[in-house]
Amino acid sequence: MTSPFETLALSRRTLLAGAGASLLLPAAARRAGAAPAAGGTLVAVLDPEPAGLVAGLTISAPAVAVSANIFDGLVEYDEGFKLKPSLATSWETSANGTVITFRLRNDVTWHDGTPFTSADVAYSLLEVTKKVHPRGNAVFANLTAVDTPDPHTAVLRFSRPSPVVWAAFNGTETQILPKHLYEGTNPLTNPLNGKPIGTGAFVFKEWVKGERIVLERNPNYWDKGRPYLDRVVFRIIRDPASRAAALETGEAQYIPLNPVPLSDVARIKASKDLVVETRGFEGPAPMYFFDFNLRREPFGDIRVRQAFAHALNRKALAETVFYGLAKPAAGPVPSYQTQFFAPDLPQYDYNIAKAEALLDAAGLKKGADGVRLRIDHIPSAYGEDYRRAGEYFKQALKRIGVEVTLRNYDLPTYIKVVFTEYDFDTHSAWYSAYPDPQIGVQRRYWSQAIKKGTPSSNASGIADPEIDAVIERIQTEGDVEKRNADIRELQRLAQVKLPSVNLLELTFYRAYSAKLSGIDLAPFGGYQSLKTVWVGA
Amino acid sequence: MSLDATDILPRAAAASAPAAPKPRRAVRTSSFGYRFLRSRTALAGSIGLALVAGAALFAGQIFPGDPLDMVARPFMWPLTSAEYPLGTDMLGRDILVGLVYAARVSLAVGLAAAGLAVALGVVFGALSGYFGGWVDQVLTRITEVFQTMPPLVFVVVVVAILTPSVSSIVLGIAVTSWPQVARLVRAEALRLRDAEFVQAARVMGMGHFRIILTHILPNAISPVVVAGSILVASAILTEAALSFLGLGDPNLISWGSMIGSGREVLRTAWYMTALPGLAISLTVMALNLLGNGLNDVLNPRVSLT
Repeated sequence: MTSPFETLALSRRTLLAGAGASLLLPAAARRAGAAPAAGGTLVAVLDPEPAGLVAGLTISAPAVAVSANIFDGLVEYDEGFKLKPSLATSWETSANGTVITFRLRNDVTWHDGTPFTSADVAYSLLEVTKKVHPRGNAVFANLTAVDTPDPHTAVLRFSRPSPVVWAAFNGTETQILPKHLYEGTNPLTNPLNGKPIGTGAFVFKEWVKGERIVLERNPNYWDKGRPYLDRVVFRIIRDPASRAAALETGEAQYIPLNPVPLSDVARIKASKDLVVETRGFEGPAPMYFFDFNLRREPFGDIRVRQAFAHALNRKALAETVFYGLAKPAAGPVPSYQTQFFAPDLPQYDYNIAKAEALLDAAGLKKGADGVRLRIDHIPSAYGEDYRRAGEYFKQALKRIGVEVTLRNYDLPTYIKVVFTEYDFDTHSAWYSAYPDPQIGVQRRYWSQAIKKGTPSSNASGIADPEIDAVIERIQTEGDVEKRNADIRELQRLAQVKLPSVNLLELTFYRAYSAKLSGIDLAPFGGYQSLKTVWVGA
Repeated sequence: MSLDATDILPRAAAASAPAAPKPRRAVRTSSFGYRFLRSRTALAGSIGLALVAGAALFAGQIFPGDPLDMVARPFMWPLTSAEYPLGTDMLGRDILVGLVYAARVSLAVGLAAAGLAVALGVVFGALSGYFGGWVDQVLTRITEVFQTMPPLVFVVVVVAILTPSVSSIVLGIAVTSWPQVARLVRAEALRLRDAEFVQAARVMGMGHFRIILTHILPNAISPVVVAGSILVASAILTEAALSFLGLGDPNLISWGSMIGSGREVLRTAWYMTALPGLAISLTVMALNLLGNGLNDVLNPRVSLT
């Protein structure tokens, strides 16, 4: 059981415990490039408490942030969105794009000691990801079979080329679960979801509901030498002010998600003991937008929608409501996803006069009270910032004679009203764009994504044959260049047909102690495993 | 009766009374107006309330325009600009204008909720106290059902079900606060129904409802007036609490909603929470003073001898 690394880690810990030795280490360890120091406990903060700890089943952000420590995916992304090995050491795609072969590590065991094999991969992809993962069904729609010629080779067979799957093999999206513990059960209700057994860098220890989740170092982890930390404790703290206080007093060292209110970011940034990191969310890629309910008049009229787009000052929105931690979006795909992003898309500049002229042309004249249209608006229920943005929209639209009634709801009611009853005139929210537009962007525009009851689906009700045709080409096109051309065309159509106004590229952020080193800055870094992290002096 | 400043006040006046020449007795010292003006608490409370009500009534004249409009740079501290003496909030809205307009919503909610609660309470209380028997049993049990629920939780549930708006908030507050009025009126009605003048009315063949309206209620009204003024104060506080929890009407500005939106930036810009908080404290204090004052004024036992 004791690897050479474990012995090393132990001896160094013992050294650190001695007062004399600790005088020697810190300065060296703090310098960039210094050897990672093993040992120590990291206290992280989570909010809200996840419903389960298997990200392959529960895709809420806090669940993923814990789960990525316990499970691995086949591959990972580096900082440039390039693939790097994880459970798979190498992979190849057949010439026609319908067969992907993964070679797997042969030195991996599950936390219960059972060896990891290609059967686990086959089971996870076919029975878990494809059947119960909320996005997996769409992404792996063309996956027909997974062959396991030997325990360390998995051959994925697709009915047609599916380039999108390369955006979903990482451990925060498609996790490999233990077949021997899940087979024959309903994965969604398996009790192991609350006390998971994975292959990851940390072993699940305990979960005290409402209080903390404790993970301990996996001494047999395949990535030799890692993780550095002995123990990770995720504390659940619901109140934003208390989260900030925990960080500032040093009680907690790492908050991966929603650490402090936007208004506190500047203060935290100013502290030399704390770091606010905005990198590590290019994978989830939150995009904020303003939807019209196209089932209702007068939003069928493109001039009305254009008028709204001209009336919303996206720069001011980013600066005031989001405290500068956002930037105007040029379209539905974030500009930092350079492989997909289409420059030179049609834009709607902030122009009140133009907006009023468009509304006049659409026959919506101002009444004696200066009001030409009365509508309602439902802001996203995911936080105060979005409600404040609703107040901003109300005032901005008042300037063009549109009187907005705001309707705020708690989260479950919001999901019911917006995504099941479609009972709104306008609605604002953010969706993740994800590393491939086919996962995150198409659901806003595809007529097939009008799914009653599914959160973050097509709520505007846009069903446009031209847009549908492009989306369906993107889903099946195997040639990367042709596919990217279609993705650019989708962005152009989204801006021209304007079923919703693309407002902002939101910036998410993590906050942590300046004593931490090795923080993962890859596109999913915010949700990534803490195996690379170590505590400096 | 506890001894407080207001108890002493009329007595002090009484002490000096005998020294005054006889003709002064023309002033009816038992009249409501006289006693009200002699009560410093009632007077202070009503002056404070008049100021708030004035702000609410004339908000449109004092500050024409929309209080929710984003007019200036956000996060402007109070006393840093002559144009925005109380500063601006996180969206650049003028806090002074907001406070003045918010008085409308807060007072309107307070008065409407208290009015509704008093109406409900008086009907329930009078009926159950006057008739007694099974009517009393049934109505009291109903009252108790409402009393057993924690008021704030109950209001939150009502407002959440009906979707947050001024009318649902008023309804929620009224529904949770009428039982105390009902119990008060019931006790008075119980006391009065066997009083001689009521018996006399009954012997004269007066109908039950006429007796309740002309004999029971007028004599039971003083504690209700006092309770009503306190209810207005507690309704304003409840509205603030609801807005603080994000259950306020998002289309209107109230002191509670100002506190609710300022809460997030409490550590960087505490004035956004403190200023509306101060407005609430002063208004609630004025209402409580008025309530206490009225209690003294209307209570014949605290009197000039």
